[in-house]
Amino acid sequence: MISPLAFLRGRACILIAGGIAVLTPLAISGNPYYLTVLTLILIFIIYSSAWNFLAYSGQGSLGHAAFFGLGGYTSSMIALSTGAPPIAATFLGGAVTAGIGGLIGLTCVRLKEWFLAMVTFGFAVIIQTLTVSQLAPFTHGWDGYAAPRLVSPEIPGYLFIEYYVILAMVVLTLGVLAILMRSRFGLALAAIRENELEARAAGINPVKFRLFAFIISAFFAGVAGALEICHFGYITPEIYGIDLSFWPIIYSITGGLGTLAGPVIGTIVVTIFWDGLNAMGLSYERFIVIGVMLILIIVFLPRGIVSFPSKIREFLQKRLSRGKEPEKT
Amino acid sequence: MDGNIGIIGQVAFWGLYAGCIYILLATGLNLIFGVMKVVNFAHGEFLMLGTYVTFMLFTISGFNPYVLLFASIPILMSVGIIVERLCFRPVLGTGKLNEIFISLGLIYIFQNAVALIWTDEWKTMRSPFEGIDIPLGPVQLPLDYLIIIFVTVAILIGLSLFLGRTVLGRKIRATSQNRKGAMLMGINVERIDMLTFGIGAGLAGAAGTLWAVSGQVFNPYMGSIPAIKAFAVIILGGLGSIPGAIAGGLLLGLAENFTAFTLGGSWKDAISFIVLIIVLVVRPTGLFGEAEE
Repeated sequence: MISPLAFLRGRACILIAGGIAVLTPLAISGNPYYLTVLTLILIFIIYSSAWNFLAYSGQGSLGHAAFFGLGGYTSSMIALSTGAPPIAATFLGGAVTAGIGGLIGLTCVRLKEWFLAMVTFGFAVIIQTLTVSQLAPFTHGWDGYAAPRLVSPEIPGYLFIEYYVILAMVVLTLGVLAILMRSRFGLALAAIRENELEARAAGINPVKFRLFAFIISAFFAGVAGALEICHFGYITPEIYGIDLSFWPIIYSITGGLGTLAGPVIGTIVVTIFWDGLNAMGLSYERFIVIGVMLILIIVFLPRGIVSFPSKIREFLQKRLSRGKEPEKT
Repeated sequence: MDGNIGIIGQVAFWGLYAGCIYILLATGLNLIFGVMKVVNFAHGEFLMLGTYVTFMLFTISGFNPYVLLFASIPILMSVGIIVERLCFRPVLGTGKLNEIFISLGLIYIFQNAVALIWTDEWKTMRSPFEGIDIPLGPVQLPLDYLIIIFVTVAILIGLSLFLGRTVLGRKIRATSQNRKGAMLMGINVERIDMLTFGIGAGLAGAAGTLWAVSGQVFNPYMGSIPAIKAFAVIILGGLGSIPGAIAGGLLLGLAENFTAFTLGGSWKDAISFIVLIIVLVVRPTGLFGEAEE
C-alpha cells in the first residue's frame, strides 16, 4: 500500500511539474528557439512514453520510428485530402497507425527479445522502402511534401498556442497510460514481463495482452509523429530513420525503464544535455557522449534517474547505520 | 536465351559473393551467441571498423590489401575483447533488453568515433586486381570476387579446425554446450567469453577487409544494415548452427541480388527483413534450428 505521505508527495511532484510546464514558456518570454525546443520535448515525451509502455510489457522495440512516421504520413494525408482540422487528423492518424501497429504486432507478439527487436527494426526499414518506392506517387518519395500546421503561422503567438495544445496532449497521454498501467490490464502486462509462465498459469493470455499493448503504443507513437509533422509543417521519409527509433529508447532508459515518470524526466534531461553539448560546438563527440552515458546508466543505474533519490537514501541509511554501531559489525 | 542465362549466372555469382560477407558476420555472431547467449547488435560496427582499419593501413603501407587481413583480424580481435570486458560482462545475465541497449550505445560510440577520425564521407579503395575478369562460359567472374570466396572458405575451414582440433576450441565448444558443466571442469568461462567475442569481432574484421577490397563504398554508418542481415542469416539458419549460418548466408545473398534485379535496387535491404519476418512467423526457431527449451 502507498502511505498517505508518499501519495501526497507524488501529488505535489505532479503539481510542481505541471506548474513548471505551464509557466516555462512565459518565463522565457516567447523566445522562438527555446519554445521550439520545449515543444519538441513535449512531443518526444509522448513518443518515449509510448515506447516505454511497450517496454513495460517486456517488449523492446527497435523500430518505433515506423509508427512515428506512419502517424505523420497518415495524419497529414488525411488532413490534406479531407481538409479535417489538424488536431482531428492527428487522432485519426494515430488510429490508423494503431491499426497497422496491430497488424505488425500480430507477427511480433510471439517473438522474444532480440527476435522482436530485429523484426520491429525490419518493419521500419520495410515501411521506409515502401514509402520511397511503391508508394512514391502518394508520398513524393524522398522529397516529401508540405503538411498542414497545427496552428496557422498567421495567428499571432501561434507557437504559444501550439505549445499549450501539445501540452494538453501530453497530459492526456500520460493520464491514459497511468490509468492503464494501474489497472488490471497493466498488472497483467507486468506479470507477463516478469514471468510469462506464471502469468499464463494465472489465466492471462500473454499474446492477447501483448498485442493490445502494441496497439496502444503504436497509437501514441503515431500521435507523436503526427504532432511533430504538424509542428514542422513538412514531412520526408527521414522520419523513419534509425535515430528516431533509438531516441525514445535512450530517453526511457536514462529516465527509468517501465515507470511513468521515466520517459518524461529522461526526455527533458537528455534533450537539455544534448542541446548543451550542441551549444559547446560538439558534433560527433556528442553522440559518443550519449553512447557512453547509455552504457554507464545501464551498468551502474539500471533503473534510471528516477531511482536516483532512493539510491541516495539507501546509501545514506547504510552510512548512518554504520556510523551508529561500528563495534557490533 | 543464352544472354538470360548469363545474367542469371552473373546475379547468382554476386549473390555468392555478398553471401560470403554475411557468412563471416553471421558465424561470428553465432559463436558469440552460442557461448554467451548474447546477440551483439553492434556487430556491424566491427565490420565497419575493419574496413577503416584496412583503408588506413592500405594508404599508409600500400601492401596488397589481402595481406592486410593479417592485421585487421588481430586488431579487431583486441577491440572485441576490450568491448566484451568493459560493456557486456557487467550486464551479462541481467536481462536480454539490457544487452540490446548496451549494443545501441556501442553503435553510437563506434560510428561517431570513426566519423570523428576519418570524417563521414563515403570512401572507397582500389584493389590491385581490379578489372581482371575470368570468363567462365557466358559469365564474367571478377578475380577479386573469386579471391574473396576463396578467402572466406579458407577462414571457415581454419575456424572449424580450430574449434574441432585444439584444446582451446574444445573449451569454447564445451562452454557453448553447457556453461555450468564447463565451469565445473575447470574452464574459466569468463576468459572463454572474452576470447569468443574477440574471435567474432575478428571474423567481422575479416569481412570488413573483404568489403573494402571488393571496391564497395563505405562510411561510418554502413555497418548496421549488414549486421542486421547477418542476423537474418542466423535466423534463417537457426541460432547456434554454423552450417546453418553458411546455408542462410548463401540463401540471403542470392535472394537479395535477385530481388534487386527484379523489384529494383531500393528493395535490396528490405528483402532481408521480409525473409526474416516470414521465417519467424512460420518457424520461430529458424529453418535449421532446433526447438529451444
